Amino acid sequence: MSTTTWFELSAARDTLTPETERDRRRRRILVLCAPFLVLAAVAAFVPLATMIRMSVSADRFANVGFSVSAWRTLATDPLYRRVAVNTLWFAAATSAVSVTLGVAVSHAFAKYSLPFERVLVSVVSFPIALPGIVVAFMVVALLGRQGLVTNAVAFFSGQGPIDLATATTVTGLFVGYVYSLLPRATMVLRGTYAEVNTDAEQAARALGADPLRTFYYVTLPEIRPGIVAASLLTFRTALAIFGTVLVLQGLNVATLQISQVLSVGYESQIAASIGLVYFAFILAVTFVGLRYTEADVIRR
Amino acid sequence: MVTVELDDIRKTYGDETAVEALDLTVADGEILGVVGPSGCGKTTTLRTIAGFETPTAGRVRFADEDVTHVSPERRNVGLVFQSYALFDNMSVLANVAFGPKMQGVEKAERRDRAVELLELLDIAELADRAPETLSGGQQQRVGLARALAIEPNILLLDEPMTGLDAKLKDRLRREIGSLLDELGVTALYVTHDQEEAMAMCDRIAVLNDGRLEQVGTPREIYESPANEFVAGFVGSANLLDAQLDDGTVDLGFTRLHAVTDDTSGDATVVVRPDDIAVGSGSIPVTIREYQYLGETTSAVGELPDGQQLRLRLNGTAEETTVGTTVSVAIDPDGVAVVDTA
Repeated sequence: MSTTTWFELSAARDTLTPETERDRRRRRILVLCAPFLVLAAVAAFVPLATMIRMSVSADRFANVGFSVSAWRTLATDPLYRRVAVNTLWFAAATSAVSVTLGVAVSHAFAKYSLPFERVLVSVVSFPIALPGIVVAFMVVALLGRQGLVTNAVAFFSGQGPIDLATATTVTGLFVGYVYSLLPRATMVLRGTYAEVNTDAEQAARALGADPLRTFYYVTLPEIRPGIVAASLLTFRTALAIFGTVLVLQGLNVATLQISQVLSVGYESQIAASIGLVYFAFILAVTFVGLRYTEADVIRR
Repeated sequence: MVTVELDDIRKTYGDETAVEALDLTVADGEILGVVGPSGCGKTTTLRTIAGFETPTAGRVRFADEDVTHVSPERRNVGLVFQSYALFDNMSVLANVAFGPKMQGVEKAERRDRAVELLELLDIAELADRAPETLSGGQQQRVGLARALAIEPNILLLDEPMTGLDAKLKDRLRREIGSLLDELGVTALYVTHDQEEAMAMCDRIAVLNDGRLEQVGTPREIYESPANEFVAGFVGSANLLDAQLDDGTVDLGFTRLHAVTDDTSGDATVVVRPDDIAVGSGSIPVTIREYQYLGETTSAVGELPDGQQLRLRLNGTAEETTVGTTVSVAIDPDGVAVVDTA
């Protein structure tokens, strides 16, 4: 038995039957992380390996042979380029709008005594727990043919509700996305606002800065880590939204496309390839995000 | 710099009254200290002048101009905080130049003004540093330079020395005091440290429970306190029951010929430990407790009638122990009447 192996075995034994505080700490970490490691292995690593195999399978219904045709289709077919572009711009735009609204809402909660504040916080927060399909239905109830807004506009403009309904257009989908993303952005930003140095804001006011310039010069730099974190969270969430887009359609994004290739013709290799690209992209965004949510990095 | 007046200010938060019937004037070029226990309304008063609180009633005037409802950014007041409140995302120079920038001062001029102030405060070498890399004392100097850069109508200092160590506090106190004098700045200096207020301020306002108890020079406040609260809050004091009779103060255990306008009746008088000579006189006092404080020894003794008396045992500490009886004399000039029945 080599020295290294003996050392490793010894370390493992010390962790399992610890005698020092360092070993006991290691065992606690192991116990705390074990459920996640098991879950990650079963729910993520194993399916991921299967997906890699599936994407290069020669057959749709069984993982046999080897073919890169799915990857070639993904790289060359204009449809998939369009799906990628749609997915990215839509997630970026809805994320940007949600974070902007989130900043406004969090600012209002942090800086002013609002009437019925608890009720308002609940109203802003509760959509976080709504299934996407319910959000879609709410958009239909608002902007569909029988929708409240649609019929109100129809009443005043004299146009027909059918012409005015926007629930199943990009606009309707946009509203649905922002409705789901706003509470996530607000949740992160309210935490950030709690850390803002209010004395510095007041110093700026006393030095002649009006509220808008105080926000720009003092508050905004302080909440920047929160804005980055909220943007990453909402962007990744927007990439993953499915229920809302399945009902409203409006725009062909990656999640909808995976659903379509599986339901029409069961093109498992294409679905697996999109899934893998998706996985790699979100992993990359997460790593970049972790780096930029560090306040020190942002300050530099 | 201007004269700042608070005219019958009242500030309430729901059922809570923070400040009540406050009349206060900070004269042009004066440093007015505001002292009092926690929750007495000091900071509310400062924030009312700054414009961050709108009084429930009363008026705030800068040079006779009513600014009660003017927003903070249009009052031109310099604020110095206990927490320094520097802008962490800006260099020291940018912090100091921030106010002039908001006032629309040209870039070159605001830079010159900032450099000049940093030199005046002896921190010119820190101009390019980030605030978070500075010590507490350095940060407070930057905070002061930043507040002075706008040539404020009034400089408001909110416990600026709290959190600094004793030696630095003493140095900064002397430096800031002479700088403000030199610049002729009108300032309101809020502190819970009466010694700091005495050292730095031309006059002191003592607040208690939202009300103004007394305003006067440090000497007036210390030597002629208006009431028991002021006597007890500012410095160390003995409050003794007395009987006044034609310029004579009868303390029961001794009679003093003290100068007083109150001619007769029951009264409470204040006697500072400094006005009690230990080792001479005829009043016997039994030492009940004492604390050695280095430069002096503070003691509490018991008078023949059971009342307690705070003493200072300069140079006699070694031979004094608990239970020892010493003789003391009270300087009649140091006796002030604070309350008459």
